[in-house]
Amino acid sequence: MIFAFLKIAFRNILRAKRRSLITVSAVGFGLGALIFIWAFVDGAHRQMVENYTSLIAGHIQIHKQGFSQKEQLEMNFSRPEEIIAKLTRLAQVKAVSPRIKAFGLVSSAEHSSIVSIMGIVPQKELSVSRMSDRVKEGKFLEDNKSIVIGERLAKNLNVSLGDKVVIMSQALDGSIASAAYHVNGLLDTGADEIDKGVALITYTAAQELFVMDNKASEIAVRINSAEDARIVSRMIANDLNSPDLEVLAWQDISPMLYQWVEFDNGFIWIIVLVVMIVVAIGILNTVLMGVLERTHEFGILLALGTKRRQVISMVAFESLILGIVGSIAGLGLGCVSSLYYGKAGINLSAFTQALNNFYMDAFIYPRLSFGHVATSLVLVLIISVVVSLYPAYHAANLKPVDAIRSI
Amino acid sequence: MLIKTINLTKTYTIDGDIQTPALRGVDIVIDKGEFVAIAGPSGSGKTSLLNLLGALDTPTSGSIFYEDIDITKIALNALSGFRLTQIGFVFQAYNLINTLTALENVEYIMLLKGVSADIRRKKAVDILARVGLGDYINRFPRHMSGGQQQRVAVARSIAAEPKVVLADEPTANLDSKTAESLIELMKELNAEKGITFIFSTHDKMVMDKAKRLINLHDGKVVS
Repeated sequence: MIFAFLKIAFRNILRAKRRSLITVSAVGFGLGALIFIWAFVDGAHRQMVENYTSLIAGHIQIHKQGFSQKEQLEMNFSRPEEIIAKLTRLAQVKAVSPRIKAFGLVSSAEHSSIVSIMGIVPQKELSVSRMSDRVKEGKFLEDNKSIVIGERLAKNLNVSLGDKVVIMSQALDGSIASAAYHVNGLLDTGADEIDKGVALITYTAAQELFVMDNKASEIAVRINSAEDARIVSRMIANDLNSPDLEVLAWQDISPMLYQWVEFDNGFIWIIVLVVMIVVAIGILNTVLMGVLERTHEFGILLALGTKRRQVISMVAFESLILGIVGSIAGLGLGCVSSLYYGKAGINLSAFTQALNNFYMDAFIYPRLSFGHVATSLVLVLIISVVVSLYPAYHAANLKPVDAIRSI
Repeated sequence: MLIKTINLTKTYTIDGDIQTPALRGVDIVIDKGEFVAIAGPSGSGKTSLLNLLGALDTPTSGSIFYEDIDITKIALNALSGFRLTQIGFVFQAYNLINTLTALENVEYIMLLKGVSADIRRKKAVDILARVGLGDYINRFPRHMSGGQQQRVAVARSIAAEPKVVLADEPTANLDSKTAESLIELMKELNAEKGITFIFSTHDKMVMDKAKRLINLHDGKVVS
């Protein structure tokens, strides 16, 4: 019986070809736009998180408890190599690198500036972050006497490649930490806080400068997927089982970035709502018009003995068919456009400065998510049936004798 | 006795307060297998009476018995089931479902009754052949003449083997030759299958074909 009602519904759709085509187009365009916008937002988020975590932070950071709040040299931990050995045994962990972090004064012959000094292991850092990719001039750290600073810091200090700068700070033992380095490379990350406020030296040089006695301030971890950072960070905390250490996922390291992503994820539902309203109005218009036009026919069907629920099914089927056909078109439109721009990228270079502040590049690459495509599809199909209930109820409750009289 | 009405009245309310009586106490009895014409001029209440007998409308007062069942007491929701199993309809304007072929229109009633696809198809083909439309089974109503459409309507009305077929001025839109042929067909089916036929008309030729005539005037049975 369902097949017969489907057949009737299908023929009714074909009976009003132009109107059905407009509805299918509205559904298709709405769903296609929704899939594309969602893919765009997902792609932008992925880029933001990837750029942020790969630029300097890493996916997960391990510190002495409280370090993330104060960033003091005294908040360090011993035997980092033992922690690194434990971490590398975890399947989810791709790379690990120890760091020393301290604040200090970097001076040239003319100017000085307070910066965050980071001691890193260049070879290991290549797998954890992409700082080396951001060297615009010169080279990355090559020896224990080299320093890499931001391009804007270099400008402030009025130094260029090969020039000497001096770092002054306080060592762990309370002595004055002071050493001279030659500028080996200039960073251009687009993020002001790094380009103006970070100086990179080697881990060995930092050990000597701050008299660390093989202690570290931080271990940066790169895992297989940034999305799993919270889960893996909990796993690592359990594995290390040390209350003295804090294990932070990128969401904890940069709550602002995380909140921005979450805000965006919330905002997209407003777009979903708007698209659903457009789709609902499109389908409701067609189905309601169709029902009103066919009042006479519904009168006959009811007179012949068609039950109310069967009339409701018939109308709902029409709506569902329109929804399915429109959804197929929308899926094609949304997926093809997302895949195309996922490779070609969307050029937003006109907004580079603003994008850089959110760790985004000039090109955004939409990224299809099965979950979001499925959600969009299911919502459209549900909407297409739900909006048909009013016209269906109207048709089912017609009084046969009155409905037959109508032309 | 198949159908019995007791003091049946129907009054329409127009524009909220104007009362227009269409039936003013109709008492009729129709037996199984009868071939009855309800005659009378326009406005005499023929269509109102058929609508009430067909459970398409509710009376203002009075009762309608189908054998022992007073259908005025049946809930509105259950009336569709009653119509499906007990009554076949032929309308003046044919009222076929335009998106269905002749065959599918005839099958539709059996579909609602849950008859399996094979059986209903075979039966629909047989009935259409019986009403002389064996070569037209796959035609849509818009590709058929008025006479052919009304024959499909007659075929549809008997497809579910109802106890009674109610036909509201079935020949009104047909030329006299086609009208005569349609009434002959109904008469043959009445004889063959024992189905009671009740039809309204104001056509003298059609009245002459009826085995019994009920005359209505101003909403009352006059003879």
